[in-house]
Amino acid sequence: MKELLRELSLAFGPSGCEDEVRAIIEKYLRANMPKNAELFHHKSGGLFLHIPNPSKPKMMICAHMDEVGFMVTGIEDNGLLRFGCVGGIDPIVLTAKRVVSEKGIKGSIIAKPIHLLSESERDKRPKIENMLIDIGADTKGEAQELTFVGEYFTFDSDYIEYGEGFVKCKALDDRLGCAIMCKAIKELGDTSSDYDLYFAFTCREEVGFSGAYGATRLVQPDYAIVIESKAVADVCGVSEQKKVCELGKGAIVSFADLGTIYDKDFTRHIMELCDKKEIKYQVHRMVSGGNDSRHIQLGACGCRVGLLSAASRYIHSPSDVVHYDDLDAIYSALMAVIKGGN
Amino acid sequence: MENIKRTLSALCAQMSVSGYEYMAEKTIRSLCADIFDEIKTDPMGSFVLIKRCKRPNAPKLLIDGHLDTVGMMVTDIKAGGFLSVTSIGGLDTRVLPATEVTVYGKREIYGLITSTPPHLRKKGADSVPALKELYIDTGYSKEELEKIVEIGDPVGYRYVLTEMNGGYVTTSGLDDKACVCGIIEAMRQIDVNELKYDVYVTISAQEETGKNGSARASFGIEPDIAIITDVNFASGDGTPEHECIKCKGGCSVDISSLTDKGLTRGIIKLLNEKNIKHQIICEPGRTYTNNEGILISGQGTRTAVLSVPLKNMHTPCETVNLEDIKSLAQVLCVIACEENL
Repeated sequence: MKELLRELSLAFGPSGCEDEVRAIIEKYLRANMPKNAELFHHKSGGLFLHIPNPSKPKMMICAHMDEVGFMVTGIEDNGLLRFGCVGGIDPIVLTAKRVVSEKGIKGSIIAKPIHLLSESERDKRPKIENMLIDIGADTKGEAQELTFVGEYFTFDSDYIEYGEGFVKCKALDDRLGCAIMCKAIKELGDTSSDYDLYFAFTCREEVGFSGAYGATRLVQPDYAIVIESKAVADVCGVSEQKKVCELGKGAIVSFADLGTIYDKDFTRHIMELCDKKEIKYQVHRMVSGGNDSRHIQLGACGCRVGLLSAASRYIHSPSDVVHYDDLDAIYSALMAVIKGGN
Repeated sequence: MENIKRTLSALCAQMSVSGYEYMAEKTIRSLCADIFDEIKTDPMGSFVLIKRCKRPNAPKLLIDGHLDTVGMMVTDIKAGGFLSVTSIGGLDTRVLPATEVTVYGKREIYGLITSTPPHLRKKGADSVPALKELYIDTGYSKEELEKIVEIGDPVGYRYVLTEMNGGYVTTSGLDDKACVCGIIEAMRQIDVNELKYDVYVTISAQEETGKNGSARASFGIEPDIAIITDVNFASGDGTPEHECIKCKGGCSVDISSLTDKGLTRGIIKLLNEKNIKHQIICEPGRTYTNNEGILISGQGTRTAVLSVPLKNMHTPCETVNLEDIKSLAQVLCVIACEENL
């Protein structure tokens, strides 16, 4: 899974521009899916894999392919690019970060030198509207040869394993979900599960109005499990209560976040299965964040939704961080549910 | 250009946070051994490299560029494998959240500067977090980390060098390694038979923490003239045009009340006569370079300042154009081969 996670995370795929990610997943699935499975694309931009088991309830397992990124909104006379964010990015992580375009043009977000800032400017939180991308063009004309208004950019980031089991890259949110689903599909092979299974790789989660709405209406599942990243703050200087969850302490199960009240019975069922199989999990201790669960819950006639997420530091930055143990725990929990009876 | 690129990446890959320049000795020696007659170190951590012209009683030309960069130093090892740090030099804290670093302990380890999610921010808070609110995430347990890192170990931005369009290169530490690279390349290119001076190159320490190294290194040399090279602000970030220089505009000659008028004007005249591309910036008062130290070192000396345009100074994404480094090398060669300056 590590190799696939690396390939997926380094792939270019801001919301609405998921093509490269979709192609990697499709290639992987074509090589590894069960014989009776059906792979199909949908007009919502999603990629689906159906492993039929008609007598059983329908379950949809969902992860989004997109990542946060940027879009060029204008080109200045001096060749610098104005841009807006695709998805929610805290401007504090942007100053002097490396970025790369769809076409592979490298750039960086400029920072006026600290020497030239007034005392009050030095501490001031940066604003997106004052930021510019430098791609090494000295004139507007030169920049226009390299990019165009409307082109996507994303963080230029490396995949790095560090410390004891941690991994850092851009876009781990939610390529980790995609990678876990791919591994589950391969592992299932031709063994039977307890559900009529749909795996949905969706688009545009980061900008709301997600492809998960359409996916849900297409599949009309009885149950859904969303595999996601969860922003936590288990870093030095944050009080225990505000840490939310901790990296390396297992899969996160949630009863509620800002978008969704998860199905209580289904969530408890997941917890019981984890207890039984001695899979590490932790309960989300703060009502914060949101994800495709909301879109799935509201997508059709209603559906029982559960969430398995990986605690993630510095989410929506060039340096998303997760712990491999948590990914293994999510994978095990997912397999336990799929094969754990209705 | 290939030589410049190779030398520049070797210099930038080498950690040299102010006060820890001695760690670069191997790199400096391997880059410079074939170019200079003699390489010395000094107690402050500077390197003095000598290239002689073989003329009797040749005057001494000092060329200075500083090796040190801004960075951090470990001040404490915390639970959960986090390090608290203090800044070395004028660190720009705006760029720190979610930035990658290398911690130079018993071995090099990867670290990430922490950033807390927006929902934990105090309402209405409009300021960036101070360094004391930030930590380095190493991914180790405290026990494990204590085996690798000690208080006082230096921390630098993780080395990544990206080549961009049009000869631009972005990485950390280009202040002032872009100029150090220009000096080394000038001395590589120069024809010793044309050289009019015994050249003393100081690749100096501790510029970022008070311009302390170069003045000590130059003290014993008593040069006849000294050329100080440093980076200067490149235009494009909204700074008024007359306060900065242009990338791809070539090396700049800085005019200041603290540089020697005759020497500076002589250099400009020479470059004009030889039709060599350059630009000019006027800094009436201080130049905020090693100039001020070297100027009054020993019995005092005649100085001039040359600079290379740099974008995003003191960030992990400092950006320079290789043409401007080549231009600095060319201008240094012209100066070193001119008798009457």
